[in-house]
Amino acid sequence: MKKGISIGIISLLLSGMLSGCGQKNVNPGDVTGYDEGEAYISMWVHTIEDTPEGQAYKESVEQFNEKFNGTYFADLEFIPRNDSGGGYSDKINASVMSGDLPDVITVDGPNVAAYAANGIIQPLAELTDEERSVYLDSILEQGTYDDKLYALGAMESSVGLYYNKDILQEAGISVPDAEHPWTWSEFTEILEQLKPVMAEKSGYPLDMTFPVGEASIYYYAPFIWSNGGDLVSEDGLTVDSVFNSQENISAIKYFRSLVENEYMSKAPIEKLFESGRAAFKFDGAWEVNTIYESYPDIELGVAPYVVSDNWEGGRYTPTGSWAYAATSKAKNIEAATELVKWMSGTDSGVLLFENTKSMPSTYAAYDQITLFEDDENYKALYEQLRDYGHPRPKTPVYPQVSTSFQQALESVGLSGKDAQKELDKSVERINAKLERYTRK
Amino acid sequence: MKSKRSNSLMGMAFFGPALLLLTLFLFLPMLLTLIFSFTDYFALSPDLTHFVGLENFSKIFKDELFSSAFWNTVKFVLIIVPAQSLGALGLALLINKVTICKKYFKVAFFIPVVMSLAVVSNLWMQIYSPEGILNTMLSNIGINTQPFIHSADQALPSIAIMSVWQGVGYQMIIFLGGLQAINPALYEAAEMDHASGWQKFKDITLPELKPLCVFVFITITIGAFRMIVQPMVMTGGGPSHSTYTLVYDIYETGTVNWEIGLASAMAIVFTVFVVILTIIQTIMTKDKEGKHANKKTKNG
Repeated sequence: MKKGISIGIISLLLSGMLSGCGQKNVNPGDVTGYDEGEAYISMWVHTIEDTPEGQAYKESVEQFNEKFNGTYFADLEFIPRNDSGGGYSDKINASVMSGDLPDVITVDGPNVAAYAANGIIQPLAELTDEERSVYLDSILEQGTYDDKLYALGAMESSVGLYYNKDILQEAGISVPDAEHPWTWSEFTEILEQLKPVMAEKSGYPLDMTFPVGEASIYYYAPFIWSNGGDLVSEDGLTVDSVFNSQENISAIKYFRSLVENEYMSKAPIEKLFESGRAAFKFDGAWEVNTIYESYPDIELGVAPYVVSDNWEGGRYTPTGSWAYAATSKAKNIEAATELVKWMSGTDSGVLLFENTKSMPSTYAAYDQITLFEDDENYKALYEQLRDYGHPRPKTPVYPQVSTSFQQALESVGLSGKDAQKELDKSVERINAKLERYTRK
Repeated sequence: MKSKRSNSLMGMAFFGPALLLLTLFLFLPMLLTLIFSFTDYFALSPDLTHFVGLENFSKIFKDELFSSAFWNTVKFVLIIVPAQSLGALGLALLINKVTICKKYFKVAFFIPVVMSLAVVSNLWMQIYSPEGILNTMLSNIGINTQPFIHSADQALPSIAIMSVWQGVGYQMIIFLGGLQAINPALYEAAEMDHASGWQKFKDITLPELKPLCVFVFITITIGAFRMIVQPMVMTGGGPSHSTYTLVYDIYETGTVNWEIGLASAMAIVFTVFVVILTIIQTIMTKDKEGKHANKKTKNG
């Protein structure tokens, strides 16, 4: 009797564990809404269900299933992630090994290259010119690797150079239009002019930091691009004399000058801009909503992103966000592409904007959302994204490029180390990671 | 005979699930790590994995970042181990003497241990911030604003101090338990001999606590070596890699840069190092105990 129980317990535990692994095989009727004759598409998103973002995805998928009832059925699964994206990418990595990937996944924009180069995602089915034309250029650019379109953005993003209208007015500074942004030298003059004004408010002209993580490259790579530099070569496989070019050295030195001249605090001070103690701040588009909701006393404006003195009018401003892609496990690429198109399309984009205020991927979505016409700040961010948006470097070793850039900013900008030496060191480090791709 | 067999079966039934879980989630991963450390296993393309022999290990020893992570970790250990063990002993002695609100002090010092490291780290980021409570206090006594975790020189000690504050309660409770287990008769006897407070501490308290010291030393050392959450949350390993630790490097290599093979090799090097250190520590403390025992018998 006792023996029976113990063996029973062990086998129960075992079977429970084993059923946790192994491929999912879903038949019509197993999931509500999945009927005979429909193509089944499994999909993962990088969030939990109980967030405004999760709710938007859920509703989009429901709309998709309604629209394509009888042809396709999309099954949505929520995978939680931490702030740095850890949990979700760990799950993807583990599933690459076990072969459990779903048909469609979300990919953070800069990871498209690595996933494509390693065969985790496959090119989408051919889109007609008309279908392509609905998306912002930056979305198509971000999703393209090796001349093939792999991913379409769930949303776009932008970074604004925000300013405090009252402070600039007090100092008698007027803001240029988007075609004529301040150049570095002009911006330095303005900061110099603002320094005594801000000192009175026990603040700084600039609320700026070089945070660890993705933000640094996202906010500050435009300084490289507008100076005619780049972070990786066209094919994403060379960094020597690209990452450490003269253009980049002078861009990094510009950051050093901001710190040296005390236009910004060396150590980050919380809510400097929000409390009216800084004239400028670089931050994501979400900052507009934050200011509107929580700091109504601040008169917020968006100035065109600062450019190098050598800028020739090219694209240079921050873009990029999570995108949908079909994994190499997707057998029915037509179905997967249809779902990707729907999830990145206008209706989904508008829905996501309503829930999270994140910027949509299609022109039509911006036309539908009146805020992008009525509110000057949202409008400025959209126009900057549309006319000047530049994707982050496309390379399979993106994580190393991103960390290296942040570390160079920190070592040179904050600690005053030699720019050339630091960038050369970065090149060495990135090259070590590139070896895997260049020796093939 | 029969009852023995059913007894052992019963034992297996209780032991089995634990063994199964341990195998699945501890022994198997350990074995896999060892195997992976000799391969170029890359998380995004597991199909293209080859055996590369000792290549990963030679890479590690040439890697500047790994060696700086190593030295940072050593620095952490060198600050944390003495500070935390002495701090724990001191607190335990104090609390042992206190007669009022004893429970309150015990709980107060133990609370940080229960709190999540991420929460504690965030809390201390506020404390260390340029306009935080610590700088405000310093400015009141005329000391300029200190950058703390935002400078390459101060970040490591700042994080180490915070870690000591967070962890000290645990060892304090252990010491306190040890103190309360000491036979009061020993102290009474010492008092009869007119022993001073210091003599009592040196000749009764410390020797009685010695077995606990070994345990406390080793747990603190291993804990300090595993430092990752605090720098990850507070400084991201910066500024200029000054708080980048070994475990942080393993994490970055394995999960951010997807190089599982290389990260496994790092983990193996790390484990071997910690094991060696622990063995040395054990031998050293044991030796002293042996000598001490000899002395006792001689004296006796």
